[in-house]
Amino acid sequence: MKWKNMRKIKYIALTIGLILFLSEVSLSQVVKNKLILGLGYYNNNNRLQYLKANTKAKLNGKFQQVAGIHLSFYITVEDPANLLGRAVTNEKGVANLFIPPSAKSVWNKSPKQTFLVVSEATKEYDGVHSNFDLTKSRIQIDTLPDRKITATFSELRDSAWIPVKGVDMKVTVKRLGGDLNVSETPTYTTDSLGVVNADFKLDKLPGDSIGNLVIIAEVDDNDIYGNLTTERSVPWGESSKYVSTFNQRSLFARRGWSPLWLEWIAYSIIAAVWGVLFYLFLQIRKLKRLGAGYVAGKSE
Amino acid sequence: MNTSDASRRDFLAASLMAGAALTGCSGKENPFETAQANGMITPTGKTVKLLSVDGEVIEMDEAFLRPVSDLPPVSNAEARVGIPGKKFVMVIDLSRCKSVKACQASCNHAHELNPGENWIKVDVIQDAEYTAPYWQPTTCMHCDEPPCVKVCPVDATFKREDGIVLIDSDRCIGCRFCMAACPYTTRVFNWEAPQLLKEIAEKPYSCETSIPQKIGTVSKCDFCADMTRKGELPHCVSACPNGVFFFGDMIEDSVSNGSETFRFSDLIKDKAGYRLMEDLGTKPSVYYLPPVNRNFPFEDKNDPQEDKKVKTKS
Amino acid sequence: MLTRQKIIEDLLPKKFGWKGKVWVIVLLIFCVIGLVAYILQLSKGLVVTSMRDYASWGIYISNFVFFVAISLVGSLITAVLRLTNVRWSTPLTRIAEIIAVSAITFASIIIVVDMGRPERFYNLFTHGRLQSPIVWDVIVITTYFFISLLLLYLPLLADFNIMLQIKKSTGNRLNKLYSYLGSFWKNKPEQIKINNRSIQILSITIIPVAFAIHTVTSWLFATTYRPGWDSTNFGAYFIAGAFLVGSGAVLVAMYIFRRAYKLDKYITTDHFDRMGKIVVMLALVYLYFNVNEFLAPAFKMKKTEEGYLLGLFTGDYSKVFWFALSTAIFIPILILVNKKGRRPLPAFIAGCLVVIGSWFKRYLIVTPTLLNPLLPMRDVPDSYRHYFPSWQEWAIAMGSLAGMMLIITIFARLLPIIPIQETIDEMEEHEKD
Repeated sequence: MKWKNMRKIKYIALTIGLILFLSEVSLSQVVKNKLILGLGYYNNNNRLQYLKANTKAKLNGKFQQVAGIHLSFYITVEDPANLLGRAVTNEKGVANLFIPPSAKSVWNKSPKQTFLVVSEATKEYDGVHSNFDLTKSRIQIDTLPDRKITATFSELRDSAWIPVKGVDMKVTVKRLGGDLNVSETPTYTTDSLGVVNADFKLDKLPGDSIGNLVIIAEVDDNDIYGNLTTERSVPWGESSKYVSTFNQRSLFARRGWSPLWLEWIAYSIIAAVWGVLFYLFLQIRKLKRLGAGYVAGKSE
Repeated sequence: MNTSDASRRDFLAASLMAGAALTGCSGKENPFETAQANGMITPTGKTVKLLSVDGEVIEMDEAFLRPVSDLPPVSNAEARVGIPGKKFVMVIDLSRCKSVKACQASCNHAHELNPGENWIKVDVIQDAEYTAPYWQPTTCMHCDEPPCVKVCPVDATFKREDGIVLIDSDRCIGCRFCMAACPYTTRVFNWEAPQLLKEIAEKPYSCETSIPQKIGTVSKCDFCADMTRKGELPHCVSACPNGVFFFGDMIEDSVSNGSETFRFSDLIKDKAGYRLMEDLGTKPSVYYLPPVNRNFPFEDKNDPQEDKKVKTKS
Repeated sequence: MLTRQKIIEDLLPKKFGWKGKVWVIVLLIFCVIGLVAYILQLSKGLVVTSMRDYASWGIYISNFVFFVAISLVGSLITAVLRLTNVRWSTPLTRIAEIIAVSAITFASIIIVVDMGRPERFYNLFTHGRLQSPIVWDVIVITTYFFISLLLLYLPLLADFNIMLQIKKSTGNRLNKLYSYLGSFWKNKPEQIKINNRSIQILSITIIPVAFAIHTVTSWLFATTYRPGWDSTNFGAYFIAGAFLVGSGAVLVAMYIFRRAYKLDKYITTDHFDRMGKIVVMLALVYLYFNVNEFLAPAFKMKKTEEGYLLGLFTGDYSKVFWFALSTAIFIPILILVNKKGRRPLPAFIAGCLVVIGSWFKRYLIVTPTLLNPLLPMRDVPDSYRHYFPSWQEWAIAMGSLAGMMLIITIFARLLPIIPIQETIDEMEEHEKD
């Protein structure tokens, strides 16, 4: 009787131990943080295109960017033959990749493309995938008299450009660090002809030296089309000429550019005083020469 | 007829091809002419082959790729002149400030500052007994008549064409006269050797990046001169979650906090912007928008020991 | 009765007795400790001081101002009194001049000590900006140094001749020094004439330069916006204080040399009486400038200056403030206004008080202003809000003061501290009358 009970107890203990061990293992696995990987496609002025991947993870209850994640970018399928390139996320959790010439044949085959990004597993995070399904599109800007801007959005369907309705677009003037809306309306939506009409309401906005401004029509973060910008130069600004004080003499200018009155006063005082000192040095020399006339040792 | 049509077609095709060839194979592609024309970005000479949107292979100078990768630091002479034709200005909206101090954290991190050194200070201001208390972040004012530059004996701090006042830590002798002269007490001093990682300490020094910091020299906010040269916003501007900092070019009359862009002259006029200590005649480049219709109520729970110094705005 | 022989015998430099040796050793100890502290500072950086971002200038700078102030005594005693044909001050001229030279030397040394990157000192010359008050200070200090040196050297020439004649009293090495410096002096009438004229020119030149040196030093503060420094009064205020501390230092030196070298016949009670009167007058002038400096701003009590002024009068700095004013101005006036107070020992005590009070006054010029910035002190560690010098700063400051006294002591060992030839001339002139 005793023996049977002992064996039962042993089996139960072993099972409990195994369960505990497994749960601990699985718990430690569950502790690994989830990395959120996003992928976007960017088209600058219908010429330059690149992919931008960003990473996020929930740390201490807040979403924070994750740096140092190794990413691999692919086109169409996750195959080494379709590898576009590799990048590492920077401090802001962002990695960019310009689409290389090797993707030329795949790219030209179809108006619809798929981009994929895979992150390498690390100690803190598992590897994750993300993708973006792109439909090629473009924006064309045109200007009308009376400072009106029309921007047409079309997508590529079987080698033809078809205007698209209901796409949100922003029309701005290119500025440093951020672009200025041309009117009160922050976002326009394309009508049935795929056209957006914007009025240029910025009066007397400084442009370059001859008054040119750059108008940008952009689509931001669209699920199908990605991010597009198209630019066009218009002569609707004021010419801006900035004359800095850099080459003027002043108290705060660089060395050698002090005000003339200061230089004259300072140098004339220095010349006067050191002139006197120089004269006195000469007098000492004279004293020495006068003294040399006598035989050493004799006193007066 | 046919031949002339054909020849005309050929001619057109040839000229188009020539045009395409010219633009396509120029070697140093520059879709951002304004940037180069403004002298902000100089081509590095290194080119990269890319696939264009049209499916063509194009070559571009590294410097013009947007988003811009790290550019090599500019020479000391270039750093002392700055970017001509620009005048950088900052607008700080006091009605949005919650003293999150993300600006301080990102600035300290981006410039590898020693703990205890803060280029951005978030002051607690209450002008008088019955006026409202508020937080006031201060950076270097990059004054147009900088008292610090006036007193520097060795030209270690200087004002550039674009209005930015920088410090050359290779020239500074550590006399600290500039610290005494600055009425905004924005300058900090490296009293001890900066604690830097090896790769940071070995970076070549540039006045525009202000990295690495050096012992026995003064340092202060540099309006992230390296970022503005790339056309990007300073770190504090991007880091603030409440959009308190606006940065831009006064000549272009536009300031942006990353998500919103306003016309600078309109913003200052509409919201009655002002500058600190206007009566001293330093002509600062940082404007403040008064704390009207505050987004966040004032609670100084973060710093119970900080005294609310009663001071005048001007 | 004083004869030429007696005068020479009395005034020749003498070897140190045991007291002199102890004095030199004590000074050397202070200097060495200061040097060790400075080496520590060079290796670790200025973090060894208590200076931080708000109190970014400390006792190094106040020491610098103190040295520059004392150095003005050269121009006062030597130049001003000489030009006004005052004869009683003749024994004091060399004492004043050596104080001036050694003070200016240590002013330059202490300013290099205060620099964060002293190895870049040459940048001042290769990249100097004429717009900076520091550059003006460097120029004037250098100029003043050379003028003072010449004003020390030229009257010495006559004494070299005398000393070379008495080869037995002085050692062999000293003789070599004397002959190197002035063997060409043969007492010829042309030499005397040129020498006297040169000294006259120097005396005239040194006065504006002395005014310039301390005015420019005051501009290191007055060209800023800080409360307490943003004053139009500063140039005159500093110069008045400089003359006071300089003459106080002369009172101290007079007494010590008189006692140490038994020069009672040359530095007489009459000298103490007259110097005492001068110190009273200068203290009253300085008091006048202090009243101007504090009363007018206190009447207005501007917000930016409120913290600073109240801190001085009744707050954190009040103890030092009233101590400094008492010891530098009030108590010496009370002592010296009385004829009995102008006897050697009380005058010496008054002189000591003047010097000590003036040192603390210079500290009060630098630190309270810096700890009352125009924007609140914020986002800094707690230690940044106060300033009390660290042991390294004390060591270096005391070391520099000891060094200055060491130079004066060594000078007195090597060369006559009272001009021999001029004393002889005066005695002979006196006998003619």
